[in-house]
This record gives sequence, C-alpha cells and structure tokens, in this order.
Amino acid sequence: MRPRALTTFAALAGTSVLALAGCTGGGQADTAPAADVTAAPDYSGTLSILTKFAGEPLEPYFENLAAEYEKLHPGVKIQLIQETDQSIKDKTKTLTASNALPDVYFTWTGNWAENFVRGGRAADLTEVVGPGTEWGKTFSEGALSAFAYDGRYYGIPLYGNGKFMGYNKAAFAKAGVKVPATFEDLIAACGPLRKAGYEPIAFGNKDGWPALHYLQQMFAYDVPWDTLQADLKPATAKLDDPGYVTALTRFTTLVDTCTDTRSGTNGVLYSSAQEKFADGKAAMYYQEILEFDNETAEGKLPADDFGIFPLPAPQGAKGDPAVIEGAPEGYLVNAASPRIPLAVDFMKFVTSVENAKTLSSPPYGQPSTVIGAVTPETSSSAVFAGVGLVNKAPKLAAWLDTVTVPEVADAWLSGGEALITGGRTPEQVLESVRRASASAK
Amino acid sequence: MRTIGERALGLAWVVPALVLVGVFVYFPLAENLGFSTLKWDIYSGSQEYVGFANYAKLVEDPVFWRSLGNNVLYAVVSIAFQVFGALVLAALIEGVRSERWQRVLRAIYFIPSAISLTVAGLLFYFVYEPDLGLLNHLLQAAGLGRLGHSWLGEESTAMPAIIAMSQWQGFGYSTLLFAVAIQRIPREIYQAAALDGTGPVRRFRHVTLPLVREMTGVMSMVTISGAFQVFNEVMVMTGGGPDNSTQVLGTWLYRSGFVRNDFGYAAAIATVIFVITLGIAVAQLWVARRRRVTW
Repeated sequence: MRPRALTTFAALAGTSVLALAGCTGGGQADTAPAADVTAAPDYSGTLSILTKFAGEPLEPYFENLAAEYEKLHPGVKIQLIQETDQSIKDKTKTLTASNALPDVYFTWTGNWAENFVRGGRAADLTEVVGPGTEWGKTFSEGALSAFAYDGRYYGIPLYGNGKFMGYNKAAFAKAGVKVPATFEDLIAACGPLRKAGYEPIAFGNKDGWPALHYLQQMFAYDVPWDTLQADLKPATAKLDDPGYVTALTRFTTLVDTCTDTRSGTNGVLYSSAQEKFADGKAAMYYQEILEFDNETAEGKLPADDFGIFPLPAPQGAKGDPAVIEGAPEGYLVNAASPRIPLAVDFMKFVTSVENAKTLSSPPYGQPSTVIGAVTPETSSSAVFAGVGLVNKAPKLAAWLDTVTVPEVADAWLSGGEALITGGRTPEQVLESVRRASASAK
Repeated sequence: MRTIGERALGLAWVVPALVLVGVFVYFPLAENLGFSTLKWDIYSGSQEYVGFANYAKLVEDPVFWRSLGNNVLYAVVSIAFQVFGALVLAALIEGVRSERWQRVLRAIYFIPSAISLTVAGLLFYFVYEPDLGLLNHLLQAAGLGRLGHSWLGEESTAMPAIIAMSQWQGFGYSTLLFAVAIQRIPREIYQAAALDGTGPVRRFRHVTLPLVREMTGVMSMVTISGAFQVFNEVMVMTGGGPDNSTQVLGTWLYRSGFVRNDFGYAAAIATVIFVITLGIAVAQLWVARRRRVTW
C-alpha cells in the first residue's frame, strides 16, 4: 500500500473507531424486568458483596459471617470485596461505570443512594424490607426511611451513625472547664484547656470532608431546616440565607481559636488528629459514633475518661439546635443481579438480632439499626449514649458530602479548605457554592 | 525482491502486535475522544452527545488553568534540577579520580529513584507533617522554628513541597543517565583539551556539553512529558488541595470523573493531556534526530 493510501486508510479507520466509540453505550444500566425479591432463594452459586469494612478491626466481621453462611448453605460461595471509607467511593463508581456492580453493595444515604435508585441500579426491596414487613419491623423506622425514595424502600440499614464532640474528662477537670452548653462556651473553654497543656480540639482536614462535618452541623444550627433542605437540591437551591455566612465565620473562629494547627489544619490527617486525642494530647475531637471504641481501645484513652456531647449550638441561632448530624449507612441490592432472593436472604442473616449485637459490640462498635441490638450490655457506654442521642434527635442532618450533588459537595470541600487556610472569605466560599449549584441544575 | 508469500509471512508476524496495540492503546484513545463529546450519567448509563461543550467548559474552568499552570511549573523546575542540575552533578561525579568513589556516589544519588513515587509521597507526607514532621523538627533544632510551616496544608507551600519531593526522587535517575552519556565520550578528547590547557569548567562547557547534547535533548523531553503526567505524588500528598492549589491535570481529571461524576469532562481533560504529551513526544523525536552527534 502506498504511503498516501495508507494514511487515508488509517484516517478512515480512526474516524470509524471514533464514531463507533461515540455511538456505543459505555455503561448502559441493565433494563431487565424487576426480579421477584420475595422469591425463595436458590442456595447455589457465588454472591458478591462490596463492603466498607476493610482493615482492622472491622474486616473480620463480614469474613466471619460469610464463613458461617457458607457453612449453613454449602452450595453458596460469598465473594467479599472489602474497601475502606475513602477507597469505596472510587471502587463503587468504577464498578458502576463498567456495569460490574456486585450483587450487594455499600451505600450512604442522600444523593449517593438516590443516584443508584434513579439509575435503576438498586432493587426495590419494599416487599421484603418495607415498614410493614416481618424483616422491616426489626429496624428502626428512621433508619429504614433514610433509604426510601418516592415511598419505595431500597436500602438495608446496617448501622446508625452520628457526629459528636468526644472529650477527655480528665483534661476538662484539670483545666477547670465544664461541658460547654453553647458554641460560645466551647470557644471560651479553649483558652483554659490550652493553658492546662492540651490542644483544645484536634482536627485533621487533609481529606477535606472532616471540615464538611463541622459545617453541616453548624448550618443546621444557623440556617432554618426547610431552607437548608431546599438548598441541598440544585433545582430549588438559593443559598442566600445569612445563616450560611454566620456558620462559616463561626467555623473559622473555631479553627483559629481551638486548634494548634490553625491555618495548617489541611496538612494533618484525620487519623493523626484522632491519635492525638486518643493519646491524651488533645482535649476534644469531633468524631462519629463508629469511632468511639477506637479511642478507648487497649492502651489508649481510659474508657472512664471518654465522654461525648453534641457540638453545642450558638446562642440565638436561627436554625434548629436539636438537630444532630448523622445518618445510617447500609446496603443496596443490585437490580441486575441474577440472585436477588439469595442476596436478600444473606442480608437477613447479616441483620439477625444475634449478628446485629455482635456488630454493635467491641471491637466492631458499629451501632446496629436493628431494634434491641444496642444495649448497655452489648455496647460501650459512649456508643450507647451516642445512639440514644441520635434516636432522641427530632431530625438528622446527613453528611454534606453525600447528601447533595457531587459538584456542590466538591465546592463545599474546597471551600472548607479555603476557610481554614484563610485563602477565601466566607462570602467568597458561599458564592463559589452558589455557582456550582447553578451549574448543576 | 521479496515474494508475496514472504511479505504475507512478515505481515503475519506483525499482526498480533498490531492487534494488541490497537485494542489496548489506540481503541481506548479513540474511545476517550468519543467520551469527551458526551454527557455521561454512569448511574443510568445514559449518554447525551454534547459536541465540544466539555472543551468549551475547560476554557472557563479556573481550576483547569491552575492545574495546567502547576504542570508547567513542575516542568520548569524539573528541567532545572533533573536535566541541568543532574548534568552538572554527573560531570562532577565522573570527574572524581577514584572509580570506587564514582560507583558509591552514583549509588547514593540513585537510591531515591528506586523508591516508588507513591511510597516516596507517603514518606514525605510525614516529613512535611506540621506537628510530627522531620522538616519542622530540624528547623526547630537549628533555631529556625519560625520558618516552620504546615508544608502541605498551606496554599503557598504545598505545590513547592510536592515538586521538591519529586526532584529528590527523580534527580538520581537523571544523574545516572548523564553519567553513562559522559562515560561514552572518548577520553582522548578530554586529554587533548587538557593538553591545550583548558580547565575543568571550560572542558565541561566545550567538550561535555556538546557531546551529551543528544541525551540532554531526550532528557528534557522526557522530563517535560513526565511533568504533564504527574499524578501519584500529588494524590498521595494533598489530593489536589488545599482549595485546589496543588491540582495538576491528572488529579483534576480524576476529581472531575470520580468525585464530581463528570466523566465526559474528565475525558476532555485526558484528551488535552494526550495532545500535550503527543506534541512533546513528536518534538523529542525531532530534536533527537537533529542533535545526534557521532564520533
């Protein structure tokens, strides 16, 4: 073939490939008719599960359950894909884009789960886990409804979660400060704690989302609830309530007054800050219920010295001071799975009262959403207290990075970092979020 | 003259490699170009053709330009250290009389390159850590504590800190390559220059520099190309933060796709990276051909 002809051929071939790539579906969701979720399971084949329990101490939980289930049903093999809190986000999206989601997969609530429901990737489990069903009755109603969309139930809640300020009682006693009742008290307590030799609040924001946990709780205090909910959805968002700037300003006050790392907090790992608190070098650390038992693990903070309180609301704040930030976390069943009844059966096994109690007990310390699983006997006193506070809260504010659309969440993420470094003012951060929200409409 | 049968046989030997390269290199490239013209919802699988809208969005995206700027900064610093700095160091090492010391020095400078970038990134994360990090402790010990920073947590220091780590990691490799290039220069030329009374600096300028020109050209292109493909060290050390100050094209691509769910836009960024690195590769071939020196 002459060079010119070869070039022409290559160009044509390239164009064809381009056209082909543009026309073929890179990841069409399976549109097969909905399977009967109530059917009897066929105890054979391999069931794949994507969990968020990689690493110690959580990893053995699903491993043990899988081994036990395989023993009960010798024809079934459980294939576990265990990821960490950070890595599961990428893993899930990669599997989704390549149409390779496992039979059962982890989910957060809010926009994260909604995307799978909207895309037809999550099986409608209303007939088996809806509030009136035998299995559904074993869960707290709030946990179940966190995974409900348009009146249909899709998620199997595994554990509840909430964010609280953990504090070192001995440090508070040494500094002569009491558990703060208001945000102003919290800021005022930081001076005496520092004088007593403690970093008042350990804070690591290398991954960006820890700042969002503070912000979401502060928004709930400073912005009226209905406004806050409307602002989470780009279609209805205005983001013009003055409470946002107030909350963002309070956040910078907290970082500047109560952390030692101040504008350098973005260079510290969340886990490094956690270690500081567990080692008794910091007096407070804002954390999830799921982390409570880590603080008091062997050789760390004595259990009697560990206490919790909700991040205190500012005086006269315009939002709801009773809201607690938190949300259950759970699992969805792949709508395209050929073994949905088996997946349902396995998840029923996972959420049996006995296994739920194991999950709620140390070393796992993940407060199950199954009624009766979290008791003073099964859980540590801190976990039990945290779950009690979450259950009492009239409303839960879900995590800001999963409750809203990713573009807006990302704008909040970089905005939180900018507030810490002082690179942008609260007004500038809010403006960038407004722009992201408008672009996501 | 070859027969048709011989030609067919030759082609048959090449076909498997062509198929593999086509399937694993060119098809994904073409597919990426296709994706860059789509608005792709990975959840529903729906793909809407948007033409060049993703490329238009690039133009208006300040983070994209910031990322590109960081890549350029990376390239400039890398050229200074990993090409010119490494060349000077290689010449110094090769100027050491003892061969044993030459070997020792080459090994010392090469060791960081044997560490993977991810591991080096993690290592330096702890070097730069504000409370426990080695760097701040050293500054403190030297009475320069006021110069301490949260190196990766502040916008002004994060990018320079990452680039510095990268130079530490890549410097030895370039030095080794230049050392090999210098060793290939016939000793007689240096001896003749010495007999003519030229000192070490003039020998470097008038003998070494011209005769390693080909390697310098290749290294420059490889270094620039590498600077536009940076990903691991940024991902490990800052993830592109704080406030996107350390984003490079690779991490912004990742964040656009895997965090912001905008895979069409991520594909457009990938295309830009491809065009830049392809341009550099073509320039590299051209430079290598023009600068070849034989003796």
